[in-house]
Amino acid sequence: MNPTYMILVYLVWFLATYFVVTLILVLIANRKNLYENRIFDDAATLPFVSIVISAYNEEQKIEDTLKSLKKIDYNKIEFIIVNDGSNDKTSDVARKYLDDKRFILIDNSNNKGKAACLNQGIKIAKGEFIATMDADSMASPDIIKRTLPYFDEHAIGAVTVSVEARNPSTFLQRIIDLEYIIGLSLFLKLLSTFNCLFVTPGPFSIYRSSVLRKIDGFDEDNITEDMEIAFRIHKSGYKIKSCIDTKVRTLLPDDFKSLYRQRKRWYSGAIKTYYQHREMLFNRKFGYFGFFIPFNIILITLGIVLFLYSTYLGLSKLIENIYYYHYTNYNFFENFLDWNFDILTYGGVSVLSFTAFLGTLLIMFVGLKYARIRYKEKKIGMLGYPFIFFLYQIFWVASYFSVIRGKKVKWR
Amino acid sequence: MAIKKNIKNIFILGFIITIVLLSIIIFVNKTLDKEREKVIDTQIEEVINGFNQMQTLLGMGDTYGNKMTCLIFENMLHDLDKSIWELGQRIDLYRQTSEEFFKSPYYRQQKKFFNEKEVFYLNLLRGVKQKCGFEQPIILFFYRNSGDCKKCDDQSFVLSDINEKIDEEISIFSFDMDMNLTTLKILNQYYEIDEYPCLVIDDKRYCGMQDKNIIIKNLCMVANISVCQEYQ
Repeated sequence: MNPTYMILVYLVWFLATYFVVTLILVLIANRKNLYENRIFDDAATLPFVSIVISAYNEEQKIEDTLKSLKKIDYNKIEFIIVNDGSNDKTSDVARKYLDDKRFILIDNSNNKGKAACLNQGIKIAKGEFIATMDADSMASPDIIKRTLPYFDEHAIGAVTVSVEARNPSTFLQRIIDLEYIIGLSLFLKLLSTFNCLFVTPGPFSIYRSSVLRKIDGFDEDNITEDMEIAFRIHKSGYKIKSCIDTKVRTLLPDDFKSLYRQRKRWYSGAIKTYYQHREMLFNRKFGYFGFFIPFNIILITLGIVLFLYSTYLGLSKLIENIYYYHYTNYNFFENFLDWNFDILTYGGVSVLSFTAFLGTLLIMFVGLKYARIRYKEKKIGMLGYPFIFFLYQIFWVASYFSVIRGKKVKWR
Repeated sequence: MAIKKNIKNIFILGFIITIVLLSIIIFVNKTLDKEREKVIDTQIEEVINGFNQMQTLLGMGDTYGNKMTCLIFENMLHDLDKSIWELGQRIDLYRQTSEEFFKSPYYRQQKKFFNEKEVFYLNLLRGVKQKCGFEQPIILFFYRNSGDCKKCDDQSFVLSDINEKIDEEISIFSFDMDMNLTTLKILNQYYEIDEYPCLVIDDKRYCGMQDKNIIIKNLCMVANISVCQEYQ
């Protein structure tokens, strides 16, 4: 092994392990406060809430979303559906709900983009609190009553909820389901304990309307508007909290291609957002957030370099081996049978890789336990979860390249 | 303020735990290096014992005559050939596993020692071969480390593959020319080797990369080994 590679391996291992160990410690320290079980139920002081949904070609999915809205257990509420110039019957489906006076439809004939549609909805929203929701997601009936108590200080600008999968069926979806439970729910909850929540997930997040107006709503030029807005909320001195007592269920990409498209959008958007708000990096003014984000960027970037380097070394070795075999009439099978296990042929990199794998398993088991999910229910996804990170490295590489090449990544 | 202090403590504790975990891993790696040394030490000891026994046997030859020596030698030949080849392979395998191990003076010293003993064993084998009329072909493999000789690793792979199949019928000696041993330099001069890798099969020189078919063809020219029919 060459020394540069070894240094890189140790560096990435150290940063990643520090990250995981610290999060586990945060989890242990806050284990009793993860679920606060607070319900806002004082009828006299109920604030008005608006939920804004942007929909583009969602005729197949929006029906379930609207049905879930009707079931929301909260009286002082309005639902603003913004049709983003759909080519299908999205607006017809939404129109069916207009008999219910709580529903409002803004029917755009042109496609403006998600952020622009959300801003349109925010402009007419009457709520003291405004929630934004994806048109393919279903909110729990208690979602408003559970999230409002988190706005217990004026400094709380937004609250996120647990994001879970809607009917995961394929193997890939079952893996992503776990990733959402651990990554988009528990992980964000932990980050919120030290005010480092860097995204208000699109499937459902609720904002103080005064904050949304103060920061001029969503950035219409950003493809990850839900992440970008989180940065501006922090910048304005507000905090973002996470409530995992309630959840929103969202549809998952159903194949590799859709997952690739989704992640490329997320990761390219993240890179652009980091760059857009670069003055926040290493800035003490923003507390831990100002350091957590650059730590994350460094870890991800070094991880990608390591991934590319390892792939290069691995492929070179593979080609070298195939080349060796051409001298022996390609007798691969004979040599596989002769292979003897000798633990001493495994060196430093193998030990580090093994501990990294154990770390991933630890995250999975601890994450599911604290997310109150029974292992039995998620056993299929658990089989693939430890390996999904290799896939994400590929997505990160693709995203970096698309940003460097200045390629425009579309929302849809 | 209290929460902030608490978080700061968690960050510090996390850092300390990570340092402890890293120290454990470094310790495990060091232990593995030590274990590698131990395995090689043991194997070298076995080979040395084999050589000592061989010397005694040669001495017995003077007393009891060649018949006795050849009889015992025939029985030992295979085991010693195998031990020597395996030791060479192991040293090489551990070199690839641990960079530190490869750079350590211990590794170089063992490798020198191993090469010296190989030359000694080669001398014995050649002598006994003549005395006892053994047909077993001897392959000498001269190489340099992969930085200077890209094809040397390839050649080593091919020889390992051949050895897997017919290890009882041949003796392979691999000589690392980077060790700068006088004995190896003399052998080098004797066989007039000017490029690496280079094979000498029963005193006939084949320099440059030789694939499996060519080596077996050359082996079959000097001895009737089991794979000859397959390759005819």
